[in-house]
Amino acid sequence: MEGPSSRSAGTREGTVCSAGRRGSCEDAETDPARDMKTHFRVCRFIMETGVKLGMRSVPVATACVLYHRFFECVSVRVYEPYLVAMSCVYLAGKVEEQHLRTRDIINVSHRYFNSGSAPLECDKEFWDLRDSVVQCELLILRQLNFHVSFQHPHKYLLHYLLSVRSLVNRHAWSRTPVAETAWALLRDCYHGPMCIRHKPQHIAIAALYLALNSYGVELPVGEREWWQVLCEDVTKADIDAVISDLLQLYDMEAKCI
Amino acid sequence: WFHTLQVRRLRVQRGRSNSDPLGGNSFEQDFQWKTGLQFGTANSYLNLEKLGEGAYATVYKGISRINGHLVALKVIRMKTEEGVPFTAIREASLLKGLKHANIVLLHDIIHTRESLTFVFEYVQTDLAQYMTQHPGGLHSYNVRIFMFQLLRGLSYIHGRRILHRDLKPQNLLISYLGELKLADFGLARSKSIPSQTYSSEVVTLWYRPPDVLLGSTDYSTALDIWGAGCIFIEMLQGAPAFPGEADVFEQLQKIWAVLGVPTEESWPGVSELPNYKPEWFLPSEPQQFRTVWKRLAQLPYKTEDLAQRTLMAMPRDRISAQDALQHPYFNTLPPPIMQLRDTVSIFKVPGVRLETEVRDIFSPSRRIKPSLVPLAKCW
Repeated sequence: MEGPSSRSAGTREGTVCSAGRRGSCEDAETDPARDMKTHFRVCRFIMETGVKLGMRSVPVATACVLYHRFFECVSVRVYEPYLVAMSCVYLAGKVEEQHLRTRDIINVSHRYFNSGSAPLECDKEFWDLRDSVVQCELLILRQLNFHVSFQHPHKYLLHYLLSVRSLVNRHAWSRTPVAETAWALLRDCYHGPMCIRHKPQHIAIAALYLALNSYGVELPVGEREWWQVLCEDVTKADIDAVISDLLQLYDMEAKCI
Repeated sequence: WFHTLQVRRLRVQRGRSNSDPLGGNSFEQDFQWKTGLQFGTANSYLNLEKLGEGAYATVYKGISRINGHLVALKVIRMKTEEGVPFTAIREASLLKGLKHANIVLLHDIIHTRESLTFVFEYVQTDLAQYMTQHPGGLHSYNVRIFMFQLLRGLSYIHGRRILHRDLKPQNLLISYLGELKLADFGLARSKSIPSQTYSSEVVTLWYRPPDVLLGSTDYSTALDIWGAGCIFIEMLQGAPAFPGEADVFEQLQKIWAVLGVPTEESWPGVSELPNYKPEWFLPSEPQQFRTVWKRLAQLPYKTEDLAQRTLMAMPRDRISAQDALQHPYFNTLPPPIMQLRDTVSIFKVPGVRLETEVRDIFSPSRRIKPSLVPLAKCW
């Protein structure tokens, strides 16, 4: 599975783009906890890069899912995570038909790691980095066996929000930023592998559930709960599981900064 | 020639001798993979001959060293600057999830350091070649079974919210038995619930529906149905339904000449489409299909009715693939054909077989009977 060429590509560039970022975690920490933090930081990098590159939210989500799926089965110590992240952004652009240029991705990433510095010259270092991004894309495709089209919760959340809005008192809805909060919660899910552990419908329901609860917005009570009406196979336990994962991520955010 | 822009398939005259899988070639002579590759799978197939060249790939006929089956090897050209072409990524990721008798089967993906090869099942010909070989319109029974299979494949992918977006005779593969398989999913994409604006320039002009020609970008499954309707007419008539030669405007003019220039009454919302400029169009009234395409006049009325339902100007009026399969036009097929599992070919139903075409430019008097090519089944 692991081609020798791609492996060297992955490690060679590690020094280029993230020398200052890694190694900041304490050595005493257990490996899984440290890996979780690394993934959290890299996903933040993906999202920030995505915004700077003008990517829409679904391509950014795809980039994060590609990243988590890749590291589902390989160790973060074998492949340089930031290089993988750059290739995920590039690949997500192709999958979602929002094409990006490797040049732009490299420049934005360079700026992320060396804020204030001039863009990279078109020298050997730049071309090597570009070759690595392209090689790593192939590695990701191989690792994922070309399963790169994903169902995201976004379309479900949009649909659920429209349905719920019609059930809620119009004034209560306009006073509280339920929709904005639900979207923000959804975006934050992508910081951890929870975004690939739960069904997209369940994530959408849980984000909406948490947003409604946070503002105390009440929905009319009927024979069934509102979330049962919107999504047939979701249970309260599913919602709780998503919310618990999400809260853990917020917990980690505090530790990562 | 718009239809040749995307896939320039070489018109290699592949005779019926394909049933001899080795074609007299020796193994070593044609073996073109570099030696010393550590990926075993690359050695499992042997290239035989070049079948064609596309925008991002070259297609070879190949043979498996493991089981002797013929395969089509689509070798993806990788550009150092851009990596894997996005069409290849989309094609592979979509086809991996599609298993249907009327969709080309993706057996395997071979990775090497410099190249990427998709291994497809080998299908002998495509509808464009088939129509060239049998000019002047196909046997009406064969049109029916081809059309049924085309709609069956479309119904399957549309049910999975996938659009093909590039239907044309070159992309419909035809086996010896007459099995039709949708191929070339490079432009296909999953259709998500909130209909986004997709990039406008996708379908080959001849098979492009009027709403897309008018600049609409919120197209859906009706896009493929129009293409299917055009192919239906082309199979019957032996000539393309709307062979526009120059640009979008001329293509539209060909369509209006049959359907009439649409108005707000006949198609609410049409005047808001970006390219709608009624003053540019010559006034024309809707025609009866049977007066435009003479073959329809010789066939029962339900043939013309199905053509009309697929070739509606307004996308919302077009019949869905699933409903089209229930159309009376298909009543004469044996009923079990409606209850097949996805992966079962319609030729498993007793009584379904390809009829001998009346015209054949290769063998005007002689035609190989299907019983002489028993191997065709396993491909």
